[in-house]
Amino acid sequence: MEYGYYPGCSLTGSAHRLDKGIRKVFAKQGHILREIPDWNCCGAFEYGDRKELAGFSKKNLEKARGHFTEIVAPCPACYKNLKEADEGREFAVTHPLDLFDEAFFAAMKQARDLTGQVFTPYYGCILLRPKETAIGDTNVMEETITRFGGEVSGEAVKDRCCGGNQIFINKDVTEKLSRLVLERSRGTIVVFCPLCHMAMKTFSGERKVVYYTDLLLHIMGEGGAL
Amino acid sequence: MQKTEHALELTDYRRQDFSVCLGCKICASVCTVNDLSPGTNPQELLQRLFLGQNVAAAEPLVRFCTGCYRCTGACPWEIRIPEVIRALRHELGTESPFEKAFKGSVSFFGRVYEPYVLVKAVPFLLKGGYVKHATRWMEYMGFHLPHKVKRT
Repeated sequence: MEYGYYPGCSLTGSAHRLDKGIRKVFAKQGHILREIPDWNCCGAFEYGDRKELAGFSKKNLEKARGHFTEIVAPCPACYKNLKEADEGREFAVTHPLDLFDEAFFAAMKQARDLTGQVFTPYYGCILLRPKETAIGDTNVMEETITRFGGEVSGEAVKDRCCGGNQIFINKDVTEKLSRLVLERSRGTIVVFCPLCHMAMKTFSGERKVVYYTDLLLHIMGEGGAL
Repeated sequence: MQKTEHALELTDYRRQDFSVCLGCKICASVCTVNDLSPGTNPQELLQRLFLGQNVAAAEPLVRFCTGCYRCTGACPWEIRIPEVIRALRHELGTESPFEKAFKGSVSFFGRVYEPYVLVKAVPFLLKGGYVKHATRWMEYMGFHLPHKVKRT
């Protein structure tokens, strides 16, 4: 299947590992990702004017028009903004987590399992709220971990806020909120959001922080230990 | 008061829309800002907006709201309080140097070009004690040339 791909600004920079991971996972499953031509920033959460914010994503949808109807956006902020801007539901704006379903795992080639390893699947905020733009299966990361023999921790904090949004405004806020999540969970933190990754990584000490795509690629046999 | 009124024009809400608020304070019970500043109550802010009263930039909710939407998720009317807060911040001019650099990059390149943002925010990052985290951020480093989005 061919999807329009909206990587967003983070995935071209600091979250390049998530971008590579998404591209690899999709390629391994035989899917094609084609970038929306000349896409622009979605505005993330930096604009107080709703019309101005929606304008960025409407421009991106215009650029996708005629090329794609199915659009994949991995960054939670980009995904939310694009989905909200598509008022007429002309496009199917999808988060990759909604594509990792039974059919995906049935077709996936497993080379490793997660036995003996503990993981905290951490969703944060925007993948789960508001409900109009939330992902469909809010347990998809837990299901992946248990499917391949891993142990799940931190259920009570999976939807808490890490404060990543404030990391370059008031990092004490981010530190306090991230530590609340870290203290109430165990093992490797699994995230999908670039901001959650940065917040957790900054304050996680010895604990590892990985993207969900790193986990999938590990199970598929890519690279070394997680 | 005028600033508060004008802020609402930037959202999908009008002042009278907040009359539906039941006063249940469930938003307060789930608000992330309570982990930072106990006693924070978004319902009280909505009430003040409904009454046309002023909201100050120094208030904890305006300063610390992380946009987590826990309030919206719990609210019987699903009021999007984070979007109201963002509009208030915009109107009250509380942008941090990082946010200014972010917007500067978007208006110049059409995208957030991280090296540009980093350079623009250097004084803030140095003063704010961010350097000590640099070793944790090595994996985020990388260099690519900027892409300039065509103006339409």
